[in-house]
Parts: sequence; structure tokens; C-alpha cells
Amino acid sequence: MNQTIVSYLSKYEFYKTLLGLFGGNESLLAFVIYLIVALIIIGFCATVGGLGTFAERKISADLQARIGPNRVGPYGLLQMLADGIKLITKEDIMPYAADKFLFYLAPLLALVGVFATLAVFPWSSGFAMSDLNVGVFYLVAISSLVGLAVFLGGYSSNSKWSMLGGMRGASQIISYEIPVTLSILAIVLLAGGMGFGTIVAQQKGLPFNWFIFHNPFTFIAFFVFFTGALAETNRAPFDLPEAESELVSGYNTEYTGMRFGFFALAEYIEVFVVSGVAVALFLGGSNLPVNIEVDFLPLQFVEVIIFVTKAALLYYVVIWIRWTLPRLRVDQLMSICWKYLTPIAIFNLVGCAIWMVAFNGKSLAELIFGH
Amino acid sequence: MVSLSSYLIISMILFVTGITVMIGRKSLVAILLGVELVMNAAALNFVAYSRYMTDNLDGHVFSLFIIVIAAAEAAVGLAIVIRFFQIKETIHVDEATQLRN
Amino acid sequence: MFVQILFGLSALLTVGCAIALAATKNIMHSCVFLLGTLLGVAGLYATLGADFVATAQIMVYVGGVVILMLFAVMLTGGKDFVSKAQNLLGLAPTMGNKWTYSLAGLVSLVFILTNVKLISSIVKTAPAKTFTNEMPSTVSQLGHLLIKDHVLAFELSSVLLLGALIGAAIIARPKKNQ
Repeated sequence: MNQTIVSYLSKYEFYKTLLGLFGGNESLLAFVIYLIVALIIIGFCATVGGLGTFAERKISADLQARIGPNRVGPYGLLQMLADGIKLITKEDIMPYAADKFLFYLAPLLALVGVFATLAVFPWSSGFAMSDLNVGVFYLVAISSLVGLAVFLGGYSSNSKWSMLGGMRGASQIISYEIPVTLSILAIVLLAGGMGFGTIVAQQKGLPFNWFIFHNPFTFIAFFVFFTGALAETNRAPFDLPEAESELVSGYNTEYTGMRFGFFALAEYIEVFVVSGVAVALFLGGSNLPVNIEVDFLPLQFVEVIIFVTKAALLYYVVIWIRWTLPRLRVDQLMSICWKYLTPIAIFNLVGCAIWMVAFNGKSLAELIFGH
Repeated sequence: MVSLSSYLIISMILFVTGITVMIGRKSLVAILLGVELVMNAAALNFVAYSRYMTDNLDGHVFSLFIIVIAAAEAAVGLAIVIRFFQIKETIHVDEATQLRN
Repeated sequence: MFVQILFGLSALLTVGCAIALAATKNIMHSCVFLLGTLLGVAGLYATLGADFVATAQIMVYVGGVVILMLFAVMLTGGKDFVSKAQNLLGLAPTMGNKWTYSLAGLVSLVFILTNVKLISSIVKTAPAKTFTNEMPSTVSQLGHLLIKDHVLAFELSSVLLLGALIGAAIIARPKKNQ
């Protein structure tokens, strides 16, 4: 059976008390636990998305020697609430020539694709909603809904800019899926499983045990993964689908109000998800730096804090890259993917396999320091 | 407990719909959509029988191969559709009456 | 209980989207309904305990085939972008008359009844399988099967994919002298 949050909590005493409250109906209790945890995660991630817009403005202001938003609330922290209220109260404009069905569907697909990835997100060793055996594979598969949403949003708006942005977005997301998946495959090869629980448990808390420093190939694979992930989330320097200076705003030109908000929210949450996946696969995940048993419940919260902190640091790097590097051209984008990243990723995969055979699966640190 | 026959009924509906789309539509892309439906019906049957009738997973392997073949078929089929459109400037299947040019 | 609910939702999604696919005139909407059908079939795989097949279905179809179809629709959208009155009930007039339809209906009825008879006899005579609600992971078993029992088909499918890749690239490439 797959490890889930319900099967984790059932180890503790208070689970039995809860079961008594529900009259011994395990299915109902499991449903209630899943519901509560899902609501908590969705609320947390929506907050992360909102804070993402705030962080983006503050950090960009910092990099450009400005002050940034500072009027609403302390340090401008409530700016995201003001933005949200503004987006909700805006008029919802439907272009006359738009394909109405697809126009309604596209923002929902973007949001569904991002939120569905959170089902297997490894917050800590026990607090994953569901530790599927095909976790990473599922995440890569379901997040391709976002590419479809970008494409449909661009098509259904029936405008030239949107159409160009949508086509660029779809081709970019399909292309960059290949190096990303190949890099993930190298890690799956090392860990011997596709579940996030397996992959995180193979790494220990200290940096030289992380998969990024396991061998030289995974070190390269991390950068291939990160570059490809940036492109898949349509972040600068790969934000060609919504290139402001060429395409007005790309695929979401015609969207107003909360529909635009859905696209923006999906993008910011997806950046967080991608950072989290990079942390879980390469940077040690939620492991504590000391080697102790984590059956004690409060330690799980410490693990969650470690995980979120690492992901937030990567989030900062993503924003930093956006405000530092200029945008690429379309032909440069495609040649980077097909001529450089994909061959490097294949080389990494083969290299990892050879390393596994040659050194019996030992990491670089184990080879140097012994056991 | 969901019974085997419920899966078979869904698979039959998928198959019949696919055949209807393949016969009734005149657009080449729509015919490819019908083929995808038919292939999915077959793959669903394989997995359902694998769960209810046997202890091994050969049915899963078969449906994986069906998925692979469907992907290859879609790629080649759509390439042919695009080439056809470049020559005839339509994708109406009744226009495909010549073997060359 | 979860399995029944998931089965019901997936079946509804599959059948509803399949019928909508056949009924709608707009080919772009047909492609989106195909997406719904495929996601529903993936859900049905999940209720059958086929986790890897379900995920592969989502990966290949949502990420690849549906986007490819949408691209093809956009690249070939011309004067007859909306196909001419070929929905489920208003089939094109040249497709046949009442005699051909009734004959085909009779033949398919006989065919279906024969098949139902055959299948039911197989189901009845098959040894009763010890059936559990447990759904163990299929990933490692599938890996062993693919690399041991079905290795020839596995390699052949990789050759097929390579051939399809090259073939599609060559066919879709515009000729130089045009």
C-alpha cells in the first residue's frame, strides 16, 4: 500500500480517540482528514502565491535601487490583499470573438494542473498527502496540463498576440519537458524508486549526502533541471509566451479580473512547486541535519519548516534570475533545449548508470571519506 | 465492489463512439480522434481483464504498448494531415482521391 | 468506498466527454473533450490498481497527443474549420439510407449477441480468482516484465517510435520547390 498521511497519523494514540468520535468509521475519518489537510495545503499555497507577487516586487525594487510597495500594511505586506480585492472587483470582460467554452476552461485547467501536483508534494517524511509509488512521474505528467492551458488560453482569446504567445508557450513547455524528465530519471536511477518518500529517504540531512553532490553527473543534472524548470514555468529569461515588449502580455492579454488572477496565481504556485521538487530531488528534501528517529510528532513540523525554507531560498534565486538576465529569442530558446540541454541530460543519465555500476552505487563523499 | 462488466460497458461505449466518429466525421483530425477512442477502449479492456481474471500483469504491459503505438500513430497521422493540407488546402477526407499530387 | 466514488466520477467523465466529442461540431472542442475522456480513462485505470499505466496515460496523452492534435487543428484550420453538419444525429447525407442502416444494425446486433455469449461462457468457466481489495504497487513488477518476458516487444516499440519520429519529421517538412 502507498504511504499516506492517514496511515502515518494512525500510528499515534489520538487517532484512536478520533476514530471513537467518528463511531469507528475509518473511511469517513480518512475522508475528513484528507479534506482538512487539503484545505490547509491549498490555503498555504495560495498565500505562497500571494507572497510571491509581493516578494517579486520587493526584490526587483531592491535590485533596481527602488523602495517597492510600502503603503499597505507594515512594509507593504498587505499589498497582495489589495491586489486580490482589486482583481476580484474588476469587470469580467469576454472578448466578442472569443471561443467562450475554451476561454472559461483555460484558467481553470492552469489552476487544476498546479494544485493536482500538491497531492504528492513531500512536505515532510510523514506529512505528504499521499506518497505514491509513481510520485515524480505523476507530478511531471499532471503539470503538463499547464502547457495545455497556456495553449488554449492563447487560442480562445482570438487575438494575434494571444495566439502567438500560446503557440510559443506550448512548444516551449513540450520541448523543455524532455531535459527535465531525463534529469529526474537520473535521480530515479540513483534512488531506486519514483516515490518522493523513497527519494528523500535515500538522502541524509548534511549537504555532502544530498543527491546534488552524489556524483559529478547529478551536479550537472541539477542545473539542467533548474534551467528546464524555469522554462516550463514561463519565467524569465524564458518568458517568451508573455513577452511584454513583443506580445503585449502574450497568452493572457485578453484576460481580465480573476481569470487573469488564476493564471498569475498558477504561475507563482508553480514556481514554488518546482522549487520544492528541486529541493526534494537534489537538495536533501526535508531531512533533519541530525540522524534521529522522527516518530515524535513536533519534529515533523521542524521538517516542514526545513523544507519550506530551502524551497523559499530557491524561490529567491528564481526571482533574482528574472530581474538579472535579459530575455532570449525564440530560436535561441529552441536551440538551447534541443542542441545543448537534451544531449547533456542524456549524457548525465548514461553517466549516472555507469557510476552506479562502477562504484557500486556509492556517493563521492563515501568514496573519499570511507564510511 | 465494482464489477468487471461495468468496465466492459464503459469500454463498449468508448468503442462505439470512436467508430461513430470515424464514420460520421469528414475531417481527417476528427477521424484520428476516433482512432484514439477505439485504442483507449481496447487498453481499458486489457487492464480490466488483467485485474479481474488473472494474477499477472501482462494486461498492463499490453496497454502500455497500446499507449506507445497510439502516440506514434498520432505523430505520423498528424504529419500526414499537415502535408495533405499543404497540398489540397483542406482536410476534408473526400478530397483525398489521388495517389500522387 | 473511495474506489466506487472514483469509479463513478471517472465513468461519468469518460462517457460524457466521449459523447460530447461525437456530438460537437467544433473540432477544437472535440480535442478538449478527448482530453476529458483520456483523463477519465486514467481515473478508471487508477480504480483498477494500475498506477503506472494511469500515469503513463496522462503523461503521453495530455502532455503529447492532445497538444499535438490542437497544433494540427490550428495548422490546418482553413475555410472548413467547422466541419459541415456531421454531428451524431445529422450524419452527412451520402453516408447511407435507411436500408443500409437497418442492415448494419441487424448485423451488429447479431455480432454483439454472439460476442456476449462467448464472453459470458469464458467468464463462467474461468477459475474463481482469489480477490482482494489490496492494490499493491505495479511499478517493479512491470519493470521486470518489460525487461524479461516482453523484451522483444519493448525493443521493437522503441524502434517503432524512432521510425515514427523520423517519418513524421520527413512527411511534415515542406518541399523545397514549392
